[in-house]
Amino acid sequence: MSEEESPAQRVAIGISFGNSYSSIAHTSGEGKAEVIANEEGDRQIPSILSYVDGEEFQGTQAKAQLVRNSKNTVAYFRDFLGQDFKSIDPTPCHQSAHPIQHDSTVAFKIKDTAEGAENTVTVSEITTRHIRRLKNSASDFMGKTVNAAVITVPTNFSDAQKEALTKAAKDAGVEVLQFIHEPVAAVLAYDARAEAEVADKIVVVADLGGIRSDVAVIASRGGMYSILATAHDYDVGGTQLDQVLMDHFAKEFIKKHKSGGDPRENDRSLAKLKLESEAVKKALSLGSSANFSVESLSNGLDFTSTINRTRYELLASKIFAAFTRLALHAVEKAQLDPLDVSEIILAGGTAHTPRIASALQSAFPESTTVLAPSTSPTALNPSELAARGAAIQASLIQEFEAEDIDQSTHPMVTVTPHLAHAVGVLCISGDPASGVFRPLVEAETPVPVRRSAVIATPREGGDVLIKICEGVREIKVTKPAPKPKPAKDEDEDDEDDEDDSEEEEEEIREKAWRVENVLAEAALKGLKKGAKVEVQVNVAADLSVQCFVREVGGKGGVRGGWSAPKPVENGSI
Amino acid sequence: PVLPEGWAAEKDFKAVGQLTHATDRNIEPVGPHFLAHARRKRHKRTFSEDDRI
Repeated sequence: MSEEESPAQRVAIGISFGNSYSSIAHTSGEGKAEVIANEEGDRQIPSILSYVDGEEFQGTQAKAQLVRNSKNTVAYFRDFLGQDFKSIDPTPCHQSAHPIQHDSTVAFKIKDTAEGAENTVTVSEITTRHIRRLKNSASDFMGKTVNAAVITVPTNFSDAQKEALTKAAKDAGVEVLQFIHEPVAAVLAYDARAEAEVADKIVVVADLGGIRSDVAVIASRGGMYSILATAHDYDVGGTQLDQVLMDHFAKEFIKKHKSGGDPRENDRSLAKLKLESEAVKKALSLGSSANFSVESLSNGLDFTSTINRTRYELLASKIFAAFTRLALHAVEKAQLDPLDVSEIILAGGTAHTPRIASALQSAFPESTTVLAPSTSPTALNPSELAARGAAIQASLIQEFEAEDIDQSTHPMVTVTPHLAHAVGVLCISGDPASGVFRPLVEAETPVPVRRSAVIATPREGGDVLIKICEGVREIKVTKPAPKPKPAKDEDEDDEDDEDDSEEEEEEIREKAWRVENVLAEAALKGLKKGAKVEVQVNVAADLSVQCFVREVGGKGGVRGGWSAPKPVENGSI
Repeated sequence: PVLPEGWAAEKDFKAVGQLTHATDRNIEPVGPHFLAHARRKRHKRTFSEDDRI
């Protein structure tokens, strides 16, 4: 057995590898995930590499080189990995080394040696160097050599991209145990906390990054996660917010110094403006005002200014609205209603912005919890979620053999039937029209599943009929009578203009259940006054169901079952 | 609901319908609950068998 591959010798960490920033995390002895700071003290490490006289700089040091040494600085390269040159968007790289075509992949021309000769370095080599540095930072912190990792990737990362990343990581001496999706890592980071309770809920993860934003709608069912829909937007992100501040300060500068020229027209001035604008943006997420100051911004003129949060929010309101629209669009894509969403997890660096959280909170019903530092005291740091989730997953699987991990993540295991409708009990009345449906197992729950609940019976006791049905969630829209307006079409949601949101305030939308299909009836006789009944439903992998009904504290009970729907039967009956 | 008069069934249980067809989706292979699910599925165990181990 080789030393490196034996599970006992494995030291695994979680890596969140982003276009703008990367993070590394490990799980401490008590099983708590912690994000590791690199030797510069950064927990969010800029994914940037820079070369000065053959010396390699990474992270914050490399980021500073964007001003003086932009041609030998590589940034925003994650999304280029495993891609064809024609399919990439090089826009984010305008202020650093430009991507060029090299064979079938993407490369950069940089002077990365002391001799100063220009070399062509492929994006996969850049990634290897970046991961090697991350690995070394983690190894230094933990005091043992890290040789394995769980890496987070976006939900639309192709197999070719994953393969390229596996190879790049392997060259850096890191065995990739598993790729996990960024939004799922964020949910896991929340669910793995000691105080968290595993529940059945619909979670929207809004991962707001630097040059892209991704939203995923996830059904969380008993701690298992299924992605229902995803939405990606490469036109809204932190860079757009930086741009707003850059334009604002550039205009102020021009007004103040007539001879200074436009700092946006000079590469170096622009780089300085961009770095400082990002710093101001971060300060505005924490404080209510921030200082902007750059030495020798343009034509040797220094520039100092301040901005308060209200002003910034006004300037950036269009972009904030775009984030909300993206989230609503993803919910619509999942064929759900905002009322179905119980939690919104804000992840990514841009999610620190307080205004984005409050805008989402007002776009979704009050029953939806927005987990962001400004709206929830229990929220985790949005920048750390992906790395934490990856670290938790790494600690779960690091003992496994590679073959075990492969087998467990195989589609044979992961592709599972999910219930189309909720299964529950009809309360109050036996007639579906007047009864109240209470869901036991929510729709989109993977089978097999077992759920039980305690329900109240008619006050007088006696003989009771338990009716098990399938229910469909409907949105009941009630409008105040005096103002008749044309009914709002669901399809209009994505062009959510101002008129629309005004309309929304007038009507009352609520969730209601409609009983679709009666599955079974069971009788419980001679119940005591005010007795409670426990109902347990067991759905097997073939969709056949066993259920069990009994009085709480009573003996016996009724047990029964029914078979799976016809076409999935395997002919054994 | 109160049991209607004259309702009778074998062992007090009557199956009326079946579940609507389910949709096949991918579960994310992440988290402790998934790993437990994968273990059950690979060894073809049921919940109660798994509890016993």
